[in-house]
This record gives sequence, C-alpha cells and structure tokens, in this order.
Amino acid sequence: MSKACQPGASQPAGEAPLPNVAAALASRRPLRILSMGAAPGRIGTHGGTYTAQIERMLQSALKVTAIEIVNRGVSGELAANTALRMKNEVALEEPDLVLWQVGTNDALAYVPVDEFAEAVKDQLTWLKAHKVDVVLVGLQFAPQMLRDAHYDEIRETLRRVAAEENIIVIRFFEAMQILNPPDTEASMPPAEEFERGEAGYDCLSQYVARAITLGVFAKGIHPPAQTPK
Amino acid sequence: MTREPNAVDFWRGFALITIFIDHIPGLFYASYTLGNVSISDAADLFVFLAGWSLRLMSEGRGERRPIRDVMLRLFGRALEIYAAQVLITMLAIAILALSATELDNPLLLQWHNAAAVFTDPVTTHIGLAVLTHQLGYFDILPLYVVLMLMAPFFALVDRIAPKLLLPLSLGLYVCVLAFRLTLPTWPVAGTWFFNPLAWQAIFVLGFTLAESRRGLGAFARRHIGWLRVIGVPIVIAGALVHIFDLWPDPTNVPNPKLFFIADKTFMTPMRLVQFLALVAVFSFAWPYIRRGREMLYLSRPVGALIGLLAMLGRNSLYVFCVGSLLSLSAQVVRLYYRGSATSDAAVVLFGIIIMAVTAWLAESRQRGRPAPSSAQRLPAR
Repeated sequence: MSKACQPGASQPAGEAPLPNVAAALASRRPLRILSMGAAPGRIGTHGGTYTAQIERMLQSALKVTAIEIVNRGVSGELAANTALRMKNEVALEEPDLVLWQVGTNDALAYVPVDEFAEAVKDQLTWLKAHKVDVVLVGLQFAPQMLRDAHYDEIRETLRRVAAEENIIVIRFFEAMQILNPPDTEASMPPAEEFERGEAGYDCLSQYVARAITLGVFAKGIHPPAQTPK
Repeated sequence: MTREPNAVDFWRGFALITIFIDHIPGLFYASYTLGNVSISDAADLFVFLAGWSLRLMSEGRGERRPIRDVMLRLFGRALEIYAAQVLITMLAIAILALSATELDNPLLLQWHNAAAVFTDPVTTHIGLAVLTHQLGYFDILPLYVVLMLMAPFFALVDRIAPKLLLPLSLGLYVCVLAFRLTLPTWPVAGTWFFNPLAWQAIFVLGFTLAESRRGLGAFARRHIGWLRVIGVPIVIAGALVHIFDLWPDPTNVPNPKLFFIADKTFMTPMRLVQFLALVAVFSFAWPYIRRGREMLYLSRPVGALIGLLAMLGRNSLYVFCVGSLLSLSAQVVRLYYRGSATSDAAVVLFGIIIMAVTAWLAESRQRGRPAPSSAQRLPAR
C-alpha cells in the first residue's frame, strides 16, 4: 500500500469472510469479480479505471493471472434497484465476489434509512445463499456531508448491516476523512475538493485489493479501527 | 398547424411524464408510476411508439412516400437526435458543475457517471461524442440514435420483402440474447444500459403492428378480443410479481438465462411479452378516453388532459430533452431542500408545466410556418 494511503486504511471485519474467493483460488479457477454501484465509473488520476487498478493489484498480491472484473455499475442507481439488477448479473456472470459501492445515491436521494437497510440486508442474504462473497464500499466523502444527518445515518446503517451480516465494508468516507484533515476542509472550493476526492479513489482501489487479500488469507482478523465521526 | 390529438401522441405524452418522474430517484411519486406495477415501463412504451410512428411516417397518408425520401428523412432524424443528445449532455454536465459550485458540494461532480468527464476529459469527451460514454439517465437518446440509424434498413426491407422484416429483427434479438451481444462503453469499461441490438425488437414490433392492412398488425386487429383475453392475466401476473416481489430466482432458470429473466438492458422476452399484453389490454382505452370529452362534467378536465398529453407527444424530442434536464435539476433541488410528498408534488407540477411550455413554444414556431402537407404531419418521433 502506498504511504499516502496508509493512514486511511481500516481493518475489515469478520473471520474468513471471503470463502468463495478462497475456494476459487484453491481450485485454480479464474477469479471473477462483479463490480456494482457507483465506483466503476472511475478513471484514476494516473489513468486506468478503478477496477483495472484493483485487478492489477490483486494479480500481484494473490499471484494469479486469471482475474476478471466485470463492470456492471450504473451511476446514480439506488440500492434497491441495484439489488434487483445484481441478481440477474450474478446469474449471468457467475462471480465469486461482488464488489458493491452503495449508499451515496440513497443518501443524496433521501431514501428512508429503514428502506435502505432492508434493501442491502436482503441482498447480502441472497448473495450468501448463492455462495457469492461480497465486499461493500461505503459512501463517498465530502466534508460538506459531515453536517448532513441523513448522510450520517445511511453511513452508520451500512456499517451496522455489514457488521450484522459479517461482511467486509470499506469505510471509504472515514478513510478519506482521515486522509483529508479537518483544518483544510472549510476553505477548499468544490473543484479542488473533487480532485482530492478523486485522488482518494487511488487509495480506495488499494483498500479494496488489501481487503480481498486479507479476506482470503488472513486468520484472526481484528475488529474495525475506530474512526472519527 | 398541428395535428389533432391521437392515441400515439397521447400515450407518448403519458410516457414522457412518466420518464420525467422515474428519472428522479427517491421522488415520492416515483413509487406510483407504471414501472412499479408492471415488468415493462415507460421506456418500452416510448420505443414501441417510435416504431409505430416510423410506420406512419413511412406510409404517409394516402400516398406512400418514396423509399429514398423515407431513408433520407430517417438519417436526418438520427442526426437531429444525436445533436440533441450532445446538447443535453453538455447542459447536464454544466448543471452538475454549477450545482457543485453553488451548493459547495463536490459529490455532485461524481453523480451519474460524470466523474470521468472531470478526471479524464480528453478521452471522455471522445466517448461523449461517439456515445460510448453516457451520463446516468441520459442513456435513452443514444439508443434512439442507433435505432434511427437502423430504421432506413428496416424501412427498406419492409418495402422489398415485408414478410422478412419481423423474422430478421427477431432473429437478431434471439442471437443477442443467446450470445449476450451488446455495445461496450468507453473509456469506462462497461455496456450500454439500453442495448440497441435487443431494443430494436420492440421498435420493429411497433413498426409492424402499426400496419393495419397486412401481416401481424392486421392479425392483431382481427383477433384483438382474444389477445386481450390472453393479455389480462399476463398484465395481472406482472403486477403481482412486481408488487409482491415474486421474481423468479435468475440463478435457477435454464441457459441461456436471458430468455427466462426480466432484464431491462436486454429487454428480455418476459418484459417484451408483458409489454405486448399491456398494449393489447390498454388498446381499448383511447376511444373511451376520447369519448370522455363529450361527457357533461368530465369534458373540460378530460379535454385538457388529452390536449396536454397529445401536445407533449407531438413534440416529444424537445419535451424529452427538457424533461431530462428538469429531472436532473429536480434531483439537485431535492438534495438541497430534502424531499417530502408536498415538495415532490411541487417538483412534479413545475416539471410538467415547463414541459408543456416547451411543447407549446415548439408548436408556436410551427404556427408561423405554412401548413405542411397531410403526409408531413406525422413525423417519426
């Protein structure tokens, strides 16, 4: 992991949370990852898409060449709609792992918290029943959203649902909050803030690759690190 | 001079308002649109009616248009829609940029697939120009551009060998489903949300069913009673599936799975059949709606509703473009003021008024021009 991203790294929760990925690797099958949600629409600051960066890092960390990340993200889509579509995509693509960035659109559209929780929880249950691992990617960061109670509630709900279901969640918002210290938050215009946020996606791809690697190999994983609210 | 309200314009106006509401995620009233009680939604209706209108344009009234004129007109229409797509995409990007600046919120620059425009403008602008990069909810017109580029071929086959058109279209559709053929997006790797290779089937079905004198269109008219009898349980079943979440588990269906699941991107058979059932069942409605204008207490509201929806439908490209921008603006407004049933009602009402004003302005321009010949009164919209 790059030095710049290290402060924002958080530990994933749960024990051996990616058994299906581990099984795919053990049987030397090509690893298939289905990417859903907003993040796939990313092009990193150094070129290459967010998913391509994850693919490259996983190939290096897991020492396998046959990794395919299928991008089926629809930017702006609410969790409930993604969940419905994801079932089809899982049936068609037969992935070992779903990488799901979820929550930002629901928070911005003021979807009621209980509706959001139900949609995510039902989908996680369905994926578990169909032997597909999941890594959730949490809400996007903007310092302005620290003041938004609904955004905060959706963030907290995602964390709670993931903990209940023993699912890895990359707490992107909290990581970016650590990487972007509070003293610089107030004065930065949105365009510069956006660029800084986009640079955060380079870190996010590292966090995701690290979480998957740990989920496959690590034993006795520690609980999530406490992060500032 | 504008044409009298007709069923095609009326239902197209209905589809335009529905799409406007559906494109505001989280909106209170978005839970009450067609797509919440039906496997298909307003997008299917919109594309089907585009195919239907292609027939009206191709045939003209009374005298058939020369095929060369039809083909040129369709290429021109494709160009017009392409220009509209480029314009509204640029305006949408500007709305996001302006909103991000004014509301001091950089998240808006990441909305709806816009992030790549700002992080990698060099390649993304090429993608925008060649339609391989589409903003979220701005992905229907690229489908239309491709359909309109295919339309001259459809019109030509229909003239030379009309019996071949539907088999050719459905043959392509079956291949697309069997081999999951689609168009890729670029520079962000993915696929088109509306796969034109699949959606051409509903477009051609609209074109074919609009022909009342021969083929499938004549057959459907002769047996419309039976088709409605078959259609009613399909429509009810579709509603129940949606309301009670009774979707079949897509992992349990046989291969090729796209033949057995409900998927919007590939406009799968489950969706297509339910839509055709919906059309058969609701095809009875227009004469009764029109008759409502003659009823004592209902004449004014029904007349106004028909007039409004038909006017929107007559000017569908302008209205769709403005509606798309209004949907995006409404999302920004909801972000700022938070959504509630009351504020959402104001958003919907304001949107419909602006869409109506757009249509009225478009027709005002036409009023100043000489009256078109009867054959020119039914553009392929």
